[in-house]
Amino acid sequence: MYNVAEVNAEECVAQKGCRLCIMYCPEANCIQMDTTKMVATIVESRCKGCELCVVVCDAAKHNAIKMVAR
Amino acid sequence: MGKKIQINKEFVDIMPQDYLDLVDNGTYESPNRGWKDFGTATELIAEHSLCAGCPESIAFRHIMASIPNPEDTVMVGSTGCTSLVFPMIAVHNIHSLFGNQNAIATGLKRALAVRFPDRVKDVIVLAGDGATVDIGLDMTLQSWFRKERFTTICFDNELYANTGGQESGLMQKGFLAKMAPVGKKFEKVRLPEIARESGCDYVAIMTASKPSLVEKVIKQAVLIAREVGPTYIQIYTPCILEIGKQSMEGLQEMRTSEAPGERFKFREFISPEAQSFLDGLAEKKKAEKLAATGATS
Ligand code: SF4
Ligand code: SF4
Repeated sequence: MYNVAEVNAEECVAQKGCRLCIMYCPEANCIQMDTTKMVATIVESRCKGCELCVVVCDAAKHNAIKMVAR
Repeated sequence: MGKKIQINKEFVDIMPQDYLDLVDNGTYESPNRGWKDFGTATELIAEHSLCAGCPESIAFRHIMASIPNPEDTVMVGSTGCTSLVFPMIAVHNIHSLFGNQNAIATGLKRALAVRFPDRVKDVIVLAGDGATVDIGLDMTLQSWFRKERFTTICFDNELYANTGGQESGLMQKGFLAKMAPVGKKFEKVRLPEIARESGCDYVAIMTASKPSLVEKVIKQAVLIAREVGPTYIQIYTPCILEIGKQSMEGLQEMRTSEAPGERFKFREFISPEAQSFLDGLAEKKKAEKLAATGATS
């Protein structure tokens, strides 16, 4: 089992300009901006499961990311 | 697509997708490149083997997004965790013998000036604290004394991380590490001050907690090194494993360490020559902006 991050598109406020998870994810090209839906999207194969994106998203009270088992 | 970075037409069909993405969607030759490209453009750093949540990876991402001229930059690395990342970056780079990085960069910068007299070529050293302050201190200082025109970036994690946690010159006084069980007896070496006194025209000490600040500092440092003299940036990239933190705690660790009075509170030194160069740049930008708005109104 391996933990990866998952974005809840309903909660993500990237539309309003939030880029917190994209700024702080330690992995390059791992959280991408879906420019049509305007939500942050995780590239699972690059996610190392560190949970830092959850920390920054929760700290801003958006609570849009949770860790899921794969 | 930029002009300088292209794939030979004969090879396009056999190139891996990641490589094609870099060429088509990378940020080479993009004058306003910066962290704002994250999430939409392909970054010049790819899957590497650093630990989950490593703050060094965050710093690396911010730096790779900010260097002003990646297509004409050569980076010099040294032994340490950073050497696990260098094979995965899309900028020319050289791995030097442990500690030799500033000597290699000196020769490289001079050779590039001879080989490409009409082109701007930036050289950036990026090494850990062991390479910069302990093993390579001689080379680091001598390059500053000689006013060699390149940027030295030190990823300061305050110990030797990938050999299990030995004491380094940049470790804090009193700190206990796995392989330094009695605690460090001496003060953290004041390399930023030493850099200033040794001839650096720009010095900054910081963490990687704010991408906009990293971007500003990196751009200033590279441009000043190009035109004025040597520059030095020391960035706190805590080793979460060696200080006993969880993978998601690195950012908070950086924020705590840059609070007022803490050892990584942002500090900057700019020599008068570098300051007048920066003022000139700002003036030029202002004039360009004015001309642009004048043209549209
Ligand atoms: S931090 Fe949260 S709200 Fe902001 S872009 Fe990422 S997922 Fe969306
Ligand atoms: S868990 Fe870590 S590696 Fe995965 S997307 Fe979040 S910040 Fe990036």
